[in-house]
Amino acid sequence: MITAVNATKYFGEVAAVNDINVTIKNREVFGLIGTNGAGKSTFLRMAAGVLKPDSGKIFVDDTAVYENPSVKADIFYISDEQYFLPNATPREMASFYADYFPAFDRIRFDEMLGNFQLKPNRRINTFSKGMKKQLSVLLGICTNTKYLFCDETFDGLDPVMRQAVKSIFAGELSERDFTPVIASHNLRELEDICDCVGILHQGGVLMQKDLEEMKLNIHNIQCVFQNAEEEKAALGLLDIVKAEKRGSLNIITVRGQEKDILCKINMFSPIFAEILPLTLEEIFISETEVVGYDIKKLIF
Amino acid sequence: MISRNLFFKLVKQDFKKRIWCPILIFVTCFLGLEVRMLMEMETFIRYPDAHSYDVATYLREYFFGREALDMSILVCLVAFLCGITGYAYLHSKVQIDLYHSLPVSRAQFFWARYLSGTLQFFIPFVINVMVCVGIAVGRRTFTIETIPAIVSFIAIELIIFILAYSVAVLATALTGNIIISILGTGVLFAYSTGIEVLIFLMSARFFDTYVVYNSRGNFALNGKIWCFSPLSMIIKLFASPNNTTMEDAQKFFKYDTLYVWVLVVAAVLYSLLAYMVFRKRASESAGKSIAFRVAEPVIKTMVVIPTAFLVGFFFCSISYNTDTNEWFLFGVIFGFIVVCILMEIIYRMDLQGALMHKKQFLFNAVCTALVFVVFRYDVAGFDTYVPTDAQLQSCAVSISDLMPLQQHIQLSDFGGHYLSPAQYRMANMELQGNPSVMELARKAAKEQLAYRYFDYYEGIEESSEYIEILERQENYCVIDFGFKFLNGKTIYRKYMVDLADADTLRLLSDIFNDYNYKIGSTPVFNDGWKIAFDAIRCENNFKAADITLTPEKQSKLIEIYQKEYTKLTFDIVMHTLPIGTVDFVLKNRKNPNYYSSYSGEMCIYPQFTETIALIQEYGFDILENPTAEEIEFIQVQKEEVVSDPYYRYAPYYNTYNDMEVKESIQKADPVEYTDKEQIQQILDNIISDKFNWQINGYADLLDSQYSIEIRFKKNNPNVYNCYRFIKGQVPAFI
Repeated sequence: MITAVNATKYFGEVAAVNDINVTIKNREVFGLIGTNGAGKSTFLRMAAGVLKPDSGKIFVDDTAVYENPSVKADIFYISDEQYFLPNATPREMASFYADYFPAFDRIRFDEMLGNFQLKPNRRINTFSKGMKKQLSVLLGICTNTKYLFCDETFDGLDPVMRQAVKSIFAGELSERDFTPVIASHNLRELEDICDCVGILHQGGVLMQKDLEEMKLNIHNIQCVFQNAEEEKAALGLLDIVKAEKRGSLNIITVRGQEKDILCKINMFSPIFAEILPLTLEEIFISETEVVGYDIKKLIF
Repeated sequence: MISRNLFFKLVKQDFKKRIWCPILIFVTCFLGLEVRMLMEMETFIRYPDAHSYDVATYLREYFFGREALDMSILVCLVAFLCGITGYAYLHSKVQIDLYHSLPVSRAQFFWARYLSGTLQFFIPFVINVMVCVGIAVGRRTFTIETIPAIVSFIAIELIIFILAYSVAVLATALTGNIIISILGTGVLFAYSTGIEVLIFLMSARFFDTYVVYNSRGNFALNGKIWCFSPLSMIIKLFASPNNTTMEDAQKFFKYDTLYVWVLVVAAVLYSLLAYMVFRKRASESAGKSIAFRVAEPVIKTMVVIPTAFLVGFFFCSISYNTDTNEWFLFGVIFGFIVVCILMEIIYRMDLQGALMHKKQFLFNAVCTALVFVVFRYDVAGFDTYVPTDAQLQSCAVSISDLMPLQQHIQLSDFGGHYLSPAQYRMANMELQGNPSVMELARKAAKEQLAYRYFDYYEGIEESSEYIEILERQENYCVIDFGFKFLNGKTIYRKYMVDLADADTLRLLSDIFNDYNYKIGSTPVFNDGWKIAFDAIRCENNFKAADITLTPEKQSKLIEIYQKEYTKLTFDIVMHTLPIGTVDFVLKNRKNPNYYSSYSGEMCIYPQFTETIALIQEYGFDILENPTAEEIEFIQVQKEEVVSDPYYRYAPYYNTYNDMEVKESIQKADPVEYTDKEQIQQILDNIISDKFNWQINGYADLLDSQYSIEIRFKKNNPNVYNCYRFIKGQVPAFI
């Protein structure tokens, strides 16, 4: 389990991560989503032991991670721009990592290279960006570490490869104690794979929930009421995150269980009421909008 | 996970990753060792007589000995390469993300890279040294004595490598950018050397009594407190020994073992410091100029202040008149502003940051001004400081122009060097129990304040104030003092004293008449007994000859001369003209046609009756003068000094200009005298101009209006053919 307790990191006078508390349970896929500069990479770098928190602590299996090689032996960190040794080939990189991670599975690595059609003796600096990302993931999987931190790793992968990686993750999750933490902007991809999501904004955690629970607790509703009084009364009963009106049609994002919400709306016999499922992207936009990260402000 | 096995894997990994580094070092060492060695050996084969030692001695004492300095320069460059490339990953965010996320502690990571870098130098270096040994063995120039020389050569180069390497690592860890790392390495490597040079320049410029006698050739780099930078340490390790006696000079160069240990300690300390900085360094510092923000103002102050003054000296040196303070001040201000702005730009990596941190700017400006004031107005009282009698163990005094016996030290195998009289006396004289010494020092220090220097300007010679001071200071001369403290430390001062002052003359007389002054001021009394001189050059007013003596006869001559010389009084010197000189000389080893004076030309006065008799016994009659019959003609030329030699008496600030000649001598047409009677009269009233040099400025015994040249019928090439009339004895017909 990874636990961040009041972890804070400043870069100069900017708080990249500000007093965040996060818990990542074992054997679940944790998605870290956030606005640009929200502190996703900084959090991962701290969790990987690269950066030292200015205050607070980050524990991995109840042990502080910074300057603790025995804990770091359970973590493989894929940064957003992974570094490979100059002129190294995939096989040489495998040897490199095998020195640090004794459980590195070279046989499986060779197999997976074949599956992904990556040549083991080709120089990595001739690889495309996507191929490098694939290689990073394969190296990370084959180290057989308990935790795999992926910073924007899925962004450069084509849809086929994304699916392949997802399959590998699923396989690993079913076979061993494996906890991937994935930071990404590609919320649609995370939606398919993540069990739990943490939303970061301006260095702080807006929310951290199980993805299903998150989806069950926020809904998008389209409804038309018979008159303004009923509309006002009905909306007053709801925990509205966001509300928009187009003519007589109300488009609202509401927190709460689907059943409760509908019950409250139906009390006023609306002309029309319909609940639409929210994507993770919509949840993210809604939640960040509440704290002032309004897309409209950026566009208009 | 943290196992010895992993540590060596890390070392191996880094070695493999930077394999180009040991290859480059191998090639560099190959050129610097094998190729250089073979070239040197070739000179021994082609020119077997060019050296006074054989190839085996050359290898032992020079190639693996004294010339380790040459290799050290290469070693330092190699160390910078290894240090900067080994830790340059700290400047790259992507590399930091990789290396610092691996399950290795920073300590292990640091030392693994440290060892790898050291091995990258050490392995190719030792291989090349071994190949050199193979060549030497193959050419039968290797002796068993060469082994310790090789071991110490390898050890010294390794210590120097670690010293320079640690500094490079420290600079790399302190910074976040490769260019700044290179600059930082340069600054850390040479900082104390720069400060030493600056202190020397500042002291020489602003302190009237400042003089250095510590170490020949590297006087500015021999400070004890400031030798903390590797460059200063290396220079000090290989500094030419300050030999002031022939016996010392005959020894081969040997490392100062104690100082080698100082280097070892410094290397360890620099390594630990680099390690601590590495540990403290935050990963996010990659890409910044300086990794520790708190260090920025400190570094800035340390760089800006000395650089400003160095720029001041630069402007002085390129200006028309190096004496004036205007260009110096301009340089200081200009340098200060430019370096301040430049450092802010480097720190921020942004031109717009140039004028940031005004408080720091102000602080540094105040510090720079304070340093200037301290030196310019001698706030610390450097010029007026005289130690108390209780602090001193002994003193050395050099009355500069009185008996200036220059000593030529002949070294065994690498040439020789001259010692000025003051250099010799400061090193070898120990005056104790003579109260006049400290009385003169105190008087001179007090009077020094009244001595006036001038900033030169066009037309200064027309200034009435200048002329008046020139006349007042006409009789000043330089006296050097060396104060040796009870704790072994020695400080030196140079004072201008007024010979017109009766009290000063009395004190000078007391010092000159001191037995220890005479023994300590004349090289031949020190170790002349132990040297087999090639010849004794005897000279009187009109003739010179080299006589060769057995060691016993040499010793006898020194003994008699010393006995009479120690009885010579200041009063005699002031009122009596020497009648000849004796000089103990040595043949030049490489060219026997050249002689070099070891003792200097030592005056013989009429009072030295035993010396005169002994030299006569050895075959040279000092009292014998030529008759008019032996002379073809005498030329007398009237001379007139057109402009005053004011430079001698009233030097400007900055002593370098003292030597600038500001006088010209107008000579009338020479008059030839062939009449025997006239020739005899001239001969009876002249003295060799050469003898005047020995008492220059003290005794006013010659008439400088006329210069005289003698044409002998039988040419005597050894004689210095320039004469002067004795004052008041110019024949009427002239």
